[in-house]
Order: sequence, then C-alpha cells, then structure tokens
Amino acid sequence: MLRYIALRSLVALFLVWVVVTVVFLLLHLIPGDPAELLLSTGNIAADPAAVAALREKMGLNEPLWQQYISHMAGVLSGDLGASFRDGASVIEQIALRLPRTLEVILAAALIATGIGVPLGTFAAIRADGKADAAISFFASAALSTPVFVVGSVVILIFAQQLKILPAGGFVDFSEDPVEHLKLLLLPAGTVALALLAVIIRMSRASVLEVLQRDYVRTARAKGLSRGPILRRHVVRNALIPVLTVLGLEMGTLIGGTVLVEFVFNWPGLSGYLVSAVDARDYPEVVGIVMTISVLFVFLNLVVDVVNALFDPRISLVTS
Amino acid sequence: MSRATRRLILPGAIAAVIVALVLLAPVLPLDDVRGMDIPHRFAPPSAAHWLGQDEFGRDVLARLIWGGRASLFIAFGSALAAAVIGTTLGLLGGYFRGVVELLTVRAAEIILCLPPLLLALLVVTILGAGTWPLILALTILYTPNYARVVYAATQQVRGLDFVTAQRAMGTHPLVILIRTILPNVLPPLLVQASLVVASAMVIESGLSFLGLGVVPPTPSWGLMIRAARGAMEVAPLLLVWPSLALAGTILTFNLLCDRLQSALDPRSVTAGGALWLRPRARSASKPATRPAASEEAPLLEIEGLSIAVNDLELVRRVTLSVRPGETMALVGESGSGKTLTGLALTGLLPDTLRVTGGTALYTPREGAPIDLAQLDEEAFRALRGTEISMVFQDAAAALNPVLRIGDQVAEAIRVHHALDGAAMQARVVELLRHVGIPDPERRARAYPHELSGGQRQRAMIAVAIANNPRLLIADEPTTALDPTIQAQILQLFAQLKRDTPGMGMIFVTHDLAVVAEIADRVTVMYAGEVVEEGPVTEVFARPRHPYTAALIASVPEGGAERLVAIPGAVPSPHKMPSGCRFAPRCTHAKPVCTQSAPRRSHPSDTRLTRCFRWEEVT
Amino acid sequence: MIQDTPTAPLVIADRLGRNYPTRQGLLGQKHDVWAVRDVSLSIAKGETVGIVGESGCGKSTLGRMMLGLETPSTGSVSFDGRDLSTLGGAERRQLSRRMQMVFQDPFGSLDPRRSVGAQIADGLKTHKIVPASEVKAEVARLLEQVGLPASAAQRRPHEFSGGQRQRIAVARALSTRPDFIVADEPVSALDVSIQAQVVNLLMDLRRDLDLAMLFISHDLHVVRHLCTRIAVMYLGRIVEEGPAEQVFGSPAHPYTRALLAATPSLHPKPADDTGRILKGELPSPASPPSGCAFRTRCPLAEDACAAAVPALDPVGTGWRAACIKAGRVNAEDAA
Repeated sequence: MLRYIALRSLVALFLVWVVVTVVFLLLHLIPGDPAELLLSTGNIAADPAAVAALREKMGLNEPLWQQYISHMAGVLSGDLGASFRDGASVIEQIALRLPRTLEVILAAALIATGIGVPLGTFAAIRADGKADAAISFFASAALSTPVFVVGSVVILIFAQQLKILPAGGFVDFSEDPVEHLKLLLLPAGTVALALLAVIIRMSRASVLEVLQRDYVRTARAKGLSRGPILRRHVVRNALIPVLTVLGLEMGTLIGGTVLVEFVFNWPGLSGYLVSAVDARDYPEVVGIVMTISVLFVFLNLVVDVVNALFDPRISLVTS
Repeated sequence: MSRATRRLILPGAIAAVIVALVLLAPVLPLDDVRGMDIPHRFAPPSAAHWLGQDEFGRDVLARLIWGGRASLFIAFGSALAAAVIGTTLGLLGGYFRGVVELLTVRAAEIILCLPPLLLALLVVTILGAGTWPLILALTILYTPNYARVVYAATQQVRGLDFVTAQRAMGTHPLVILIRTILPNVLPPLLVQASLVVASAMVIESGLSFLGLGVVPPTPSWGLMIRAARGAMEVAPLLLVWPSLALAGTILTFNLLCDRLQSALDPRSVTAGGALWLRPRARSASKPATRPAASEEAPLLEIEGLSIAVNDLELVRRVTLSVRPGETMALVGESGSGKTLTGLALTGLLPDTLRVTGGTALYTPREGAPIDLAQLDEEAFRALRGTEISMVFQDAAAALNPVLRIGDQVAEAIRVHHALDGAAMQARVVELLRHVGIPDPERRARAYPHELSGGQRQRAMIAVAIANNPRLLIADEPTTALDPTIQAQILQLFAQLKRDTPGMGMIFVTHDLAVVAEIADRVTVMYAGEVVEEGPVTEVFARPRHPYTAALIASVPEGGAERLVAIPGAVPSPHKMPSGCRFAPRCTHAKPVCTQSAPRRSHPSDTRLTRCFRWEEVT
Repeated sequence: MIQDTPTAPLVIADRLGRNYPTRQGLLGQKHDVWAVRDVSLSIAKGETVGIVGESGCGKSTLGRMMLGLETPSTGSVSFDGRDLSTLGGAERRQLSRRMQMVFQDPFGSLDPRRSVGAQIADGLKTHKIVPASEVKAEVARLLEQVGLPASAAQRRPHEFSGGQRQRIAVARALSTRPDFIVADEPVSALDVSIQAQVVNLLMDLRRDLDLAMLFISHDLHVVRHLCTRIAVMYLGRIVEEGPAEQVFGSPAHPYTRALLAATPSLHPKPADDTGRILKGELPSPASPPSGCAFRTRCPLAEDACAAAVPALDPVGTGWRAACIKAGRVNAEDAA
C-alpha cells in the first residue's frame, strides 16, 4: 500500500513538472512583450528605453534556459516570485485566495454528496418509475445549465426579486461570520447544483449496476433483509465509482470556478488567474497554474488511494 | 422499433429543429442583428419583435438564432476536429500499443492534467478572442477525451477473437483497423461526440460570457447573457431568453447522448431496478394443502410449475420431487429452464420473470407444508439460508469483492443465529474448515480475489450450508472449474451428503458425467419441459426418452467411431414447436408427435417419460 | 528428439518458451512468469495433435505461438521448413494463408457488424484464392462444406446459433485452403448435443482435406475421440506426449493419471477410487516449484523430484514422459 502511494506520488510529481514546464514555455514563446504591455497606457506606445530597462530588471533578456532554471530553482525553494504588476509576493496572494476557492468547492461537494447519493440511490431503486423520471430529468437539466446561467438566474431570483440574499461580494469570516456564510450560500449552491447532477446520475447508474450483480443475489439467498443488503452490499460497492467521479469533478472545479467567482464577485484564485493572464504577469500565471495543477494531481492521487482503501482488489490489479 | 429507439425521437427532432433554424438563419426573414433602434431599447415582446428588443433596441429573436449559429458552429467544428484527431490517435495507440501508445494516447492525456476551463482560458488568452481560436482551444481540449474513449474501446475490441482471426488470415494491420476495429468502436465514439458538442457549448458560452470568446458585435448566447446581467433590473426577460436557449440546446444534446447510448448498447441499460427492494402489498399466501400423506413425505414436491416472461412461457408444467437425503440432478442444455426452476424455488428469479402456475410444496422442519409458488419476498426471506439454500455457479461473482470471506460467512450465520464475536469467529472457522479450506483462521480474513477458484467455490458452499439448510440447490457449481478442482468439489458435495443425511439436494448441471458421479435421481429438461425422470443408474442404462438417449450417445465416451449428433438447435422460446418440443430434432418423430403434446407415462413406478413412442423406440 | 512420423512434420516447435514478465508491486523487481516453457512438438499432415491441461497451463499461448500470432521468448517455430521468426511482415502475412485458427467463443469470433459472407470472403480476397468473379460461388461452396445453406452468406452472425456460428468460423478458416489449423477449445462453449456436430465436422475435414490440426481442449473425452496424438501440459511444460491410445490408455505420468481420474464419467469409478483425486491446487506460474512442477501435488513425489526438472524421455515408440518415476508408475499399473 505504501509502495503504491509512493509510486503514485512520483508519477504525480512528474506530471506537475510537465505542466509547469509547458505553461512556462507557452507563456514565453507566445508573441507579446510583458514589459511593453506593462508600460503602455491606452494606445500610447511605451518609451523603448524604459521597456529595455524593465526587461533587464525582469530578467527577460537572459536566454530562455537560464530563465527556466532560475524559475524552477525558485519553485523548489517555495518562492514563486513577485508580481510584475505590483511587486506583491505571488505565494502570499495565492495563500490568501486559494482558501476562498476551496471553501466554495468543499461546501458545494458536501451539499451535492449529501443530497445526491440518497437521491440517486432512490432513483435507482425506483428505476423506470415516476420518481426516477423526475429525478433523472432534474439531473439532466441541472447538468445542462452552465454555471453562469444558474448564477445569473439565482441572483435574479434571490437578490433582485425576493431580496433575501446578497447578489455577491465577499466578507472575511472573522469580520462577520453570518454575512460571510450568506455570501457563500449562492456561489456554493450554484456550484453544488452542477455537482449534484453528476452525483445523482453516477449514483443511480452505479446502484443499478450493482443491483444486477451476483453477490447481491447471494446476499438475498442468505436471507438478509433489505436494509443490510442495501448498506453492506449495494451502496458500499456502488459508492466506489461515485467517489472517483466526485474527486475528479472537484479537481476540475479548482480551476473551473472562474465563472462563479466572476458572477458573484468572489475574490478567489480563479479570478486572480484571469486578471494575471490578461496582464501577461508570468510569475502570477505560472504560480497559479502550478498551484492548481498540484492540487488537481494531488486530488487524483487521493481519489486513487481512497479507492484502494475501499476496494481491496485494486492493490492486486496494479501489482 | 424498440423503446430505446423511440425515446430517441423527441430529442432527435428538437436537435434537428435547432440545427435547421441556425442553418437557415441567412434565408429566414429575420431583422438585422446589428440594426440598432435606441428609442425602443428594452422594449417588451411585440408583433414585430416576438421576443422584444435589447439594450440597443436590436431584435432579440434574430440575435438568438444568429447567436446559436455561432455557438453551434464552434461546438460542432471543434467536436468534429477533435473526433478525427482523437480517433486516429486512439486507434493507433490502442492497436499497436508500446511506443505508439506512448506517443499518441499518453501524450494527449497530458492535456487532461489541466482543468478544462483553465486550459481553454490559457489558449484563448494567448491567441486572442474570436471564433477560430475558440475552435482551436476546444479541439485541443477534447482530443484527449476521444483518444481515451477510442483507445479503451480499441483495446477491448483488439483482444476479441474476430480481430485475431483477421490477423491470422494475414490481413494488413491498417485494413484491420479501418475495416474491423473502427466500425466496432463507433458506438462509444458517437456517444462521446454528442457529449462533446454539449460540453463545448458550455465552455464556449462561458468564455464568451467572460468576454474572452466570441467578439462583439457578433451575437452569441454567452455575450447576450453577459449584457442582460447589466440590465437585470430593467428587463429581466432579456436574461431569460438566451439562458433558456443555451440550457435547452445543451439539454437536448445531453438527452440525445444518453438515449443514443442506451439505443446503441442495450446491455448498458439495466432495466427495472430491483422489484424485491420495493415494499409491495400482497395478498397473504394461501395455506397449502397436501394430498393424502404418503408414507415417506417428500421434502419438495413440484407439480405443474410454469415460469414466464410477460406472456412467453420459459418453463412449462415442470414436475419434480426431492426426498430428504436425496440428490436430484436437474440436467439440460442451455435454454432448458433448469436454472430458472432452481431460482424460482428460492424466490430469486429475475424481476422480469414470474411463476405463472403450479405448486411447489416444501415441507419445513416444523409446521405445515408451504407452497413456494405463492410466497412473497418477506416469506421467502424466512426460509432462505436455514431451510433452502443456494450455491451459485460463478463464485468469483457471487461473493462480494469488498468484504472478507469470514465476514460474508458470519453475515449468513447472523441472519438466523445471535452469536457474539468469539463464538461467531469460532463457528466461521469451523465452517471454513468443514468445506476444506486450508488454514481457515487466516483465510477468513482474506478477500475473495485472494483465493483460488476452488477455494472461492468452497467458501460459497460454506455460506450456503452455514445454517444447516434442509434443501441445498446447487446451480452448476463445478462448471467453471478445472477437472482436478471439479473432482475435489464433487468430493466435497459427496462428503456433505454423508455428513448431513437428512439434507436434500438439487444439483443443476448440463454435464451428464457429473450427474452420474453425484446424483441419486435425475430429471432431464428440454426446452422448458421435463422429458424424463428416474433413478440415475436406470436412466443412464436404459433411457426411455429419445432426447435422453441422444444426449447420452453424443458424449464422446466409449469407442464409437462417430458421435451421434442431435441435428438442429434448441428452439427459441418465441418459436416453440407445437406438440412434442423435441419432435423437429427427433429421429423417431411421427406425425402424431407434432399434433399434440405427449402426456406423462410411467415405464415403471420410479420412472417418468414424456414421449408418445417410448415403448417402441427405447 | 522428435518422434518418427510417416511423413515429414509440417509444423515444428523447437524448445518454445513464452515469458510474460510482471512486476511484483509497483516498484518491485521484474518477475519472470513463464506461460510456456521448453516445449518441442511436431505435427504432420493428416495428423491431429491434442493439447490438454488445466487453465493456465499455457495451452492457448502455445497454440498462438505455433500460428505466429504470438512471438516466442525462446525457441522457434518452423512451418514447412521456414522459421516464422525470420519472416518479414508481408512474407508472414503471405504464409498465414496456409495456417488458420478456430476459436472457442462462437460469439466473439465473428465480427457482429459484417455479414457472414463478407467475413468468409476476406480470406479469399486477401490471398486471391479465386478470381473476384468467383468469390460468391466459393463462399457458397465453403458454407455448404460445413453444412450451412448458401443463403447464410447474406446474414449477420447474431442470426445464428452457437453451433452454426462455430461452423461459420470453420468455413472462414477453410477459406484460404490452409494446411494447418489450430482449434482452441472449439467446442467448449457449445451444448453437448451441438458439440458432437462440430466434432464430427472437424473429423470429416481432417479426413477429406488431409489437414494438420492442433486441437486444444480441457475435455479429455473429446480429445481422446478426435486426436491421433496427445500432449498433456502442466504449468507451461509438456509432461507427457504420445499416441492417444497409449497416453490415455496407460498413462506414464502421474498427472495424466490424475487428470483422467478426475474427469467425470458416465460410468463412475468405484468409490474407493476417490483416493486418486489430487490434493491442492495449481501453483502460481510466477513461482513454480523447483524441479518437477507437479511434485507439490504428486502422490509419488520424493526428494529427488525437487532436484531438477525431469527431462521428457521416451517411454515407448513416439511416446515421451517427463517423470523420473514414469517407469515405476507403469509397473504399478500392471501389478
């Protein structure tokens, strides 16, 4: 088991390195000079001398491989550099904003799993009935509505028409816990709806599949009653793929909450990334992308390990 | 047309209408999408402008249709491009493996290390906003998805015998890829394609919404929503139209994809859920009545049992009896209904099947005989394990993969006996030892996959006998095993018979030689009916039904130069011959055989046959 | 080393081995797993050699190597005097006309999406067996040869029963007019009454076409009925090989005896014979016992058996067994 985790971690580290390198190269090989971009205001061209000075200061005149080496050295020592735009420490900015994004995702995952697994299981047990049709259609509809549409519509309903929740913004939890939670509710609910759809569909399909398995028939042949069969044999086996999907979806969300953060003015990591990409702020972009991909890869690792814990067959399969 | 195909019509038709609308946009009498009409900004729906006018007074309906054109063009364009590239990579990687796999599929998968929206954002920011950069971004994004799906399907198909047959025939690998593999990976590919179209629309609209996608003044649904958000207080409807259009279109493609999947791959749809899980009101079972008690009461007496799916009879008027301590072999080819008969006795028939007639009187340890044909799930549960128990064919599938062997045995004991930890542990180990599992203390903690096939079947038997059942039904328990292991398991069954003299056993099998080894009496089934019954030695020595005789003669034992083959094949339940069901394959058939079904005849007190001509031909 | 046959052997396997190395754990050492080890076998025209053994004994891998579908790790296969490993892709494909395969699963061996006729015609077209204008007639002839109507050509595989599909698979194998056919468990998936149809068909073809056939099966009765020579495999090696009557009539190797004793029969042996049932299970191919692989289950095993892998030595004319006590087994039998 430890070996399994160790090897998976090595693979994960390799993937992170690939991603960081690819992003570094992409940003350096594309047209557009960041120094020029920073110094120009509106349509007025920047002073060439000032641009040259700034390029020197930012180390852009060094050969690419030297920039890459010093960049990687920085990454390894935990220093992601300073923003081109305002000189702020990138790692501090990330440390400030990442928890806010994670908060939304975790809240959404909790809501979605708490509601989705029971609903999906219920739909599977009542497969082809009216309740199943209703739940399945709800899931399809939720899955088909982009988050910014859901976000805009809930703002229209809850903030504009009913006026019971704020339309967006952010207050630190330590300042005003109630207001913080109120502000969290709509973005987390919006993300949860999309996640809920995935979890309902996955649990339904998974439970339906497990119900056809021979070992469920064996459990019935033993004389077990419904409750234990459902708990010990059906749901336990059906949860394995659901957990996998949940983990993968959460990984996708780490970089995918851009729209929700934009719609609700939530100052998380994704919004930060958009503005950084816009300004060609290399240290910021590379730092954020690296953080996201580390989290993404790490989450995949966690999913695999949790799966291995749940499913004794896995350690055998990989050996 | 099947139900799955019918369900395709609605989303298919809507998708067709949507595609037709955006294709016909240039010829439809629509207003100019850029024609501003500032005095009438935010005008509500009217005869001239069915959906009203936007913040510049432009016609919303026209912008909606042209916006759809842009969205769908980008979605379909990138889905198609990604499909072509991804399928090629997946096919090559899946078929050739090795280095090719590394260069194609694995390389493409690096893209999957980035969250999709993030990647699209990167590409679009680098190349600038606009339709073509969007298509490029989405193509890069979805290529690995296709590559993965096609790769997995190719790997699956490539191992199939018909592909090996092509290789053995000397067909060129590229011809095999195109002629044999591609058509067989098309179903998952089609499903993936409609999924990608829907997903691409989500990302395209999201980027346009952020101002990074389609460039104004080209209309786009994402842009329209973005603009409408600013005017939410003045004209909330402006937000509703594009939202509906966007969500509706994506929903249509998602539904199309779901239903396409179930139409293309019927196996993936497990119909019906599980009826046994739903509490059902059911009339109390009628008390069973037994004809005047015979000197030796049978443990089980089945009379005229029929099982049907809808109105199709799969098992017809089966008669069977088992006395205490007796082993009855139920033998027949596939489709003979032998397994269904066994399942019906424990109430474990698949949901679509039900008992449609007859009685199955079972004599429990205490109390009056029970008619198993009348029981509901609740009543069966009380009997299972302790009165009637089952051993299934495929122990690897019949044991729960995530529970330890010991726990699965303990679970069976716990249903009928309250035992505490240590006592339970001792009982489990004792049972495992009893069925011949070496080192039972340690094996009790093993998972099913850690045991060999023979040991798994032994564990399965331990589960079945955990509560000392009076009737053990074994459904092809040795079929999947190797000869030396099969011999061990047969020996175990023989030992169980000796150790529990009162236990009756129904041994379902297709193997006549196994019947000869294990059973006291044999019931031969053909096409859902019992054709012959009697003591094994007598039946094998002198079969009194042409089918039994032919079956024995077709076993390649003994020195016959040429085997006796039964011509033709077992009839399908849809096309059962009238009269005797074996008549079309029977060498002794006469016109009388096809006119009516033969009645039961008794060549002796202990024998039964169902043939018009048994006296002449056997 | 290879037994005398009236005609020169068509296919010769020389010390064939196939290794599937696997890693124990993810960072562990590579571990050799020999599916087939040191197998030498020859097949002449008109001869049917049966390979029997339990699952995992390597009989299918051996069959695929003899057709060139799998590359041997050691040793070589020569067909009509040409070493398969020296042939290039095109040459190899050329030669494949003369060697064909029939598979176990009648539902997996035919492409569900193409008509039966098209699949039989593939071989005819690839190797230009008949002019394009005669392909249709040739397909009809092949179908009739295996007892199916010519109209079957237009239909898809799913319209046929298991036995009929297996006949179609035979017709496809025959389409290139091969000299050598490997049949890998061709009747195992069929019902008893249908098995006999296919067994009879194979016997007729062998007689009419003078084919060399390798017949792989775990069903001893079928093998005994159909084959002229039999090779018994255990854990990747041949433990006994010889004429069918000798190998199954008076087996020289204790494993062959155990296999025969374990096979259920319509005429069951007396109860005291159950003592002959083998104890234990097949060892893992990843860690086979030292010396004779069978010694862990062998009723005759002694210390000497662990010392070295016993050689496949002659015990009679064209009859070999790999057991240091092979002679004594026979003596006991006679006693």
